[in-house]
Amino acid sequence: MATATIEDFKCMMCGHEYEDKVVKGEDVERSCPKCRSNSIRHLKKKKVEKAN
Amino acid sequence: MDPELCNACGECAAVCPVVAPDEFQMGLSSRRAIYIPFPQAVPCSYILNMDDCLGINPIACGKCAEVCEKKAIDYDDRGERVIREVGAIIVATGLDVYDPTEMDEYGYTRFDNVITSMEFERLICAGGPTDGHFLRPSDKERPKRIGFIQCVGSRNPKIGRPYCSNICCMNTVKDTLLLADHYPDTQNSVFYQDIRAFGKSFEDMFQRSKEAGTRYIRGLPGDIEEDPVTRNLIVTVENTTSGKLERHELEMVVLSVGVQPSADRDKLASMLTLSKTSDGFFMESHPKLKPVDAPTRGVYFAGFCESPKDIKDSVCQAGAAASRAGALLNAGKITIEAITSVIDDELCSKCGLCAKVCPYGAITWQKGEVAAVVEAACAGCGACGATCTFGAITMRHFTDDQLLAQVRAVLEDRPEEKVFGFACNWCSYAGGDMAGISRIQYPSTNRVIRTMCSARVSEQMVLEAFRCGAPVVLVSGCHYADCHYIDANRQTVKRVQNLWNKLEKAGVRPERLQLEWISAAEGQKFAKVMRQMEELRKTVTADEIAHAREALKPKPKKKPKAAETDKAAPTPS
Repeated sequence: MATATIEDFKCMMCGHEYEDKVVKGEDVERSCPKCRSNSIRHLKKKKVEKAN
Repeated sequence: MDPELCNACGECAAVCPVVAPDEFQMGLSSRRAIYIPFPQAVPCSYILNMDDCLGINPIACGKCAEVCEKKAIDYDDRGERVIREVGAIIVATGLDVYDPTEMDEYGYTRFDNVITSMEFERLICAGGPTDGHFLRPSDKERPKRIGFIQCVGSRNPKIGRPYCSNICCMNTVKDTLLLADHYPDTQNSVFYQDIRAFGKSFEDMFQRSKEAGTRYIRGLPGDIEEDPVTRNLIVTVENTTSGKLERHELEMVVLSVGVQPSADRDKLASMLTLSKTSDGFFMESHPKLKPVDAPTRGVYFAGFCESPKDIKDSVCQAGAAASRAGALLNAGKITIEAITSVIDDELCSKCGLCAKVCPYGAITWQKGEVAAVVEAACAGCGACGATCTFGAITMRHFTDDQLLAQVRAVLEDRPEEKVFGFACNWCSYAGGDMAGISRIQYPSTNRVIRTMCSARVSEQMVLEAFRCGAPVVLVSGCHYADCHYIDANRQTVKRVQNLWNKLEKAGVRPERLQLEWISAAEGQKFAKVMRQMEELRKTVTADEIAHAREALKPKPKKKPKAAETDKAAPTPS
């Protein structure tokens, strides 16, 4: 079972800030849930949870 | 065992005292420690499983060797490492079957009469443990009401398997036809979410299965219970066609298990520098133009290692892979990429960062030693050149000097009116072309510099653009799944993240730097991004541009301390 963290992201295009799950070792393309831009800035870690 | 001497008489197995589960028969029957792996094995000779054997050092049993007239058994025989020099490699590592143990709702570990589709194959096979008589495990009676549950371990993101295994639907259709043929009085029910019968004659086969009396119930069961007296299975399912909750009493349930990439793929991926999809299958060089080529030249894929596919598609792919390999070998020579990196030994700091970021493993490096490029393996993405901060790596035809000169030239005149960007050769730049040939309108203020990969764009190039007065800078590349250089664009993400931090630290609005993935087909997206960049450009003030010019100026190199200078200076005589 991989460890996942809920982390903060900010869209550098529209400024939308949101939380998303980050699984260690994942390789995913991120896009803003609001404007679909790929300019997603990874902010600090928040809390730890277990992923399926 | 010496296969040349063994004549498969079976005397050895007859005297072997060990009994172990037969893997080929899915554990439904047993074998000895010395055995023929499966009836059709070629060569037809016995093998000795050393994990099961009672012991050979010292010899604890030795009965098989005693009865072998041909003296084919050699206890001192060991596995050996074989080294072959080859010109091409075809990867055909096959698949593993999903183990449904974790899906407890189907009771695979609790109920004897819940079996997998692989176990079904053995039970219905004439060469199987029951000689082809389909009997249920609990009482060895023939079941007359059989249920098949589809998508067990497939199309299920909850268990990390979102992909379709491709073969299970038609395998079940085939199984129902087999049962209808062997035992016309059986009632077969198939619980499914979709039947994917898209191959040649597959739809016809599906229709024949229905005509043979198989019931197809749309809905996957949520629970299975066992009647403790009859050992029958009570399947509860919501029929999504009727919207009703149904309970079916069945004598046997077959879990149509999905498939997954072979477990040892990681080791092979590391050896051959192969990349994998999020599902764990090997990534081809290009999904349409090079579907059997690995990104590493000279390596080709056949079968399941690349994606789930049936026998026919696997055979097609194997033929294509063999042809590709044959073409490579028969040519007698290979054309290597002209755009490769070159390392200057004098400037190399021996840090090894370039080797770490190379997606092809084309840079050799050992601690304390200068890195070196294997030019035949280098594909020319330029990730190493952008990572090296010592200027030790030169990318042929895309040198730092050439690219920086382009940046300065583009921004020489009225930079504040321009949307400046970098685009990768294969996707983003082609996306711009697509926008152009599709006559999609977008602001004419954009100026794009082409690099082979977005990973070639170094921090210095972006910072130089801001120093030259660029109001906004765009870095664009291929989507993750399309990166022409395996996964080089992941380096782009890291670099842009670092640049945002640096810009913020320098008091420059980080939003002025944007990152976008644009494919060659996304002309619309290219135009949309350019319109957004133009809107962003309009928000950047002259003061902001001037501040960035100053704040991002390269810092002068620190002078050595006075004491050290004095020490180093020669003493005047």
